[in-house]
Amino acid sequence: MSHDSRKKSLARIRGLSSGLDAQTIAQELARLGAAPVAQPLDPDPIVCFMANVLRNQGSLALAADRREVVKAIGKYLYRHLRNNRLVAGNDPHLAALPWREGGVLPRFGEIENGEKAALSYAHWGIAETGATVLGSGKHNPPANQLLPEHHIVLLEFEGIIPDLEAFWRAEPLRRGERPRGISFIAGPSSTGDIEAQLVYGAHGPKAWHVILLGKAPPGALERARQLAGVPGDGDEAAL
Amino acid sequence: MNANRDKPPRVSLFVTCLADLLRPSVAFASLRLLEEAGCLVEVPQSQTCCGQPSYNSGEYEASIPLLKHNIELFEGAEFVVAPSGSCAGMIREHYPKLLQGEWHERALALASRTWELTSFLAEVLELPPIKAAELPAGVTYHDSCAGLRDLGIREQPRALLRSRFRVDIREMDQTEVCCGFGGTFCAKMPAISAKMADDKLDNAEATGATMVTGGDLGCLLHLAGRARRQGRRLQFRHVAELLAGDFDTPAIGEPE
Amino acid sequence: MTEQPTPGPGFIDAASAALADPAAVAQRDMLARKTPLLRQQVVDEFGEFEALRRHVKRLRQHTLDNLDHYLRRFELEATHNGNRVHFAADSQEMNAIVLDICRQHGARRIAKGKSMVTEETELAAALQRERLEVVETDLGEYIVQLAGEKPAHIVGPARHKSIAQIRELFLAAHPLGERKLDKAEALVAEARQVMRDHFLNAEIGIIGANALIAENGYTMLVTNEGNGDLCANLPKVLIVCTTLDRLLPRGEDAAALQRLLARSATGQRQTCYTSFYSGPRREQESSGPLETHIVLLDNRRSEILASDYREMLQCIRCGACLNHCPIFAAAGGHAYGSVYPGPMGSVLAPLLDSLEAHSELPDACTACGRCEEVCPAAIPLPDLLRDLRHDKSREGIGPRGWRRGLRLHAWLAARPALYQSLSQFAIRSLNLLGRRRGVLRFLPFASGWTGARDFPSPQRGTFMAQYRKEQDRRES
Repeated sequence: MSHDSRKKSLARIRGLSSGLDAQTIAQELARLGAAPVAQPLDPDPIVCFMANVLRNQGSLALAADRREVVKAIGKYLYRHLRNNRLVAGNDPHLAALPWREGGVLPRFGEIENGEKAALSYAHWGIAETGATVLGSGKHNPPANQLLPEHHIVLLEFEGIIPDLEAFWRAEPLRRGERPRGISFIAGPSSTGDIEAQLVYGAHGPKAWHVILLGKAPPGALERARQLAGVPGDGDEAAL
Repeated sequence: MNANRDKPPRVSLFVTCLADLLRPSVAFASLRLLEEAGCLVEVPQSQTCCGQPSYNSGEYEASIPLLKHNIELFEGAEFVVAPSGSCAGMIREHYPKLLQGEWHERALALASRTWELTSFLAEVLELPPIKAAELPAGVTYHDSCAGLRDLGIREQPRALLRSRFRVDIREMDQTEVCCGFGGTFCAKMPAISAKMADDKLDNAEATGATMVTGGDLGCLLHLAGRARRQGRRLQFRHVAELLAGDFDTPAIGEPE
Repeated sequence: MTEQPTPGPGFIDAASAALADPAAVAQRDMLARKTPLLRQQVVDEFGEFEALRRHVKRLRQHTLDNLDHYLRRFELEATHNGNRVHFAADSQEMNAIVLDICRQHGARRIAKGKSMVTEETELAAALQRERLEVVETDLGEYIVQLAGEKPAHIVGPARHKSIAQIRELFLAAHPLGERKLDKAEALVAEARQVMRDHFLNAEIGIIGANALIAENGYTMLVTNEGNGDLCANLPKVLIVCTTLDRLLPRGEDAAALQRLLARSATGQRQTCYTSFYSGPRREQESSGPLETHIVLLDNRRSEILASDYREMLQCIRCGACLNHCPIFAAAGGHAYGSVYPGPMGSVLAPLLDSLEAHSELPDACTACGRCEEVCPAAIPLPDLLRDLRHDKSREGIGPRGWRRGLRLHAWLAARPALYQSLSQFAIRSLNLLGRRRGVLRFLPFASGWTGARDFPSPQRGTFMAQYRKEQDRRES
């Protein structure tokens, strides 16, 4: 049945298509050029990224090294959950963190229903939108970014790229690598379905916390806070 | 900008069927304004209607003879000016869409010379200022959709009003939303049309203005008719009448 | 569809009924004011939004012009990624394919994401008839499912419901004891709690797609709630139900679409989740679907491609035209009697179903042009609706009286002498009747006008007659 339908639809569509060869079609497509990108909030992509994370109702922490990452996680967990447990995917970037120094007890693998916090490693952050990009696969079971109440994402400053297109042009994809799933996550889960009011914490995480690892440009976080109109609380991010 | 031209601009007035049938004072006011601005105005005698009622109802074949009649009648003019955004928009945007071949070319030529009254007076000519008089009431301006979106008319009529009068123009909320006239729409879907009119009238009343003006008679007749039915105290006049200082003619829907 | 739905009231009657409920009218008025502002803000700050719109329009045009090429490429890549790709000619076939997959897996519970295509095919009802449990997991869809209704808006299916109404639905459906539930936040929290089990227990997940990427075989899904991702990742089998016109050439083209879609649809810069799925779980993965299917529905889209309405296939289903249409605001989505309401629905419903069944929809437009102005694909919706009226006229659909009257008017207007003498006579008569009051309360043959409003009395004689008289006077 489906096979017949395939033949019929494709035959009809072929009759209505240009009939050009693949090379000519590719040339025509190339002639369309690149799409315009949102006007950046700030010339510095790092500032843009941070400001957008905050505008997306995310929270931010900066960590100069891996020790500080663990400390930031410990602090976050204590502050919001009064405990020190979380689930992390089997990602080498996460396994290598000096967990004991922050007093955090990670469990590696896939989240079970009821576990409150999970950590993922993001290879990329998009300055234009403040999204973290997670590939799903054995290193990052997607349930870890969907089921917890608190989703913590670790991203290195080097992973911040200017826009969405830069992601699709990035090396691994160009080499033909195709992660099973790719998720651009820009905020805690939300819904506008009730009277068009935006409410956070729909089916997925209620809170989304991004920890940036590496050397932050001086004053970047303050500028980002200003741009996002989010006053600093001097605690979450001032590590 | 054409104040120093050697010859006065020759304008053919497109009266519009609504002004012709229901409110000639709008056409007389338009005539006076164009003459004041230094135009040589001609009124082609065998004009009737731009063809929107049938065209917008999808009666394309039935509309074509009328469109061709209008092209023949007006294509000799230097400028064609209509006191209506919707009729000027019909000639500018839709005549070329509907006609093909030689007629398409002639339609394009006519379209390029066709103007809505207030944009013509504001952009092409300079209407001489008159002695600043006080407009009798707070005024709110109803932007008609065709004028606003097809022809980009928004500031022109307001600027003209301000150039001629000490006037308190009070802007409505939701000024870019349709009033519900829509030609045959208002008779085909009266309940929805009335709801849209009520929203518009509420917004107009909320400004505190007592006079609603605008560039399209269709909207104004519809709004005035609804306001009269509900006993609202708003008055309605076409902007050409206001600009020409005609406050004596009874406002739309008012007794003689 | 195994059973023919009974024909509901036409648009005009349904809209009049909808206008009789003041609370519902107030809710729609609130949304009609709010949603355009949300969009405007992010469009203004974007910078070159017009250029983005033009870019995506050209991109979609290019894709549709070469649909054969891109569709085949997608099929190849998606199959290579491990998906099974199915083609469905019509609703019935799509539903049958999905049902067949459910049966093969002995499935009983289905977690379904939001998908207008499955609304079009009435998939949930088809599965429920076969005793499968289908839970709509998008909050808006879940609410209309509880209410036994259809979505009233393609992006916010339950926006027509007030907090109080949703509260009643939840109190009746969830045995959770006494609770307040008087705020959106509380309702969302309860839905989250109730829905978790459905996600964890479902054997099959069904989602839609916002785009299909030809070069790599990914399907793209844009959501805020994350429910689509839960449906796509937790159950053992994933079925993506979409249509064969949703293609884009490359990943970067999805980026452009994403930028335009979020801003146009909800006034967001980016939705919370934008996900791309390639196929089933791979070696060493502990989770993810074991089997993935992509069902591509035609349902007359290839006919639309061949027609003068081809531009309609550029629609990205953002709902901006609904949010900006004053007629949609007045009538509400249900009055359209089609899963696609508003301006885009008034074009699509006659094309996907039949002009006869939706004969009033092409008239549900004042040609105000606001929809076209905000349409991210710059589809000339008022022109397409006018063309549908033309089709109605040619096919003799709709009241004959109107058609005859309008043709007669055009015929007369092309005969100035006759037109002018008749109109002068009529106008003078009407003036005599109306000059004292200023208006006429009733006019025979114009009850559509005078039913809702007075008819402002004309002045004494037509302009053409008065002008001629004046000219004669000046000359003599």
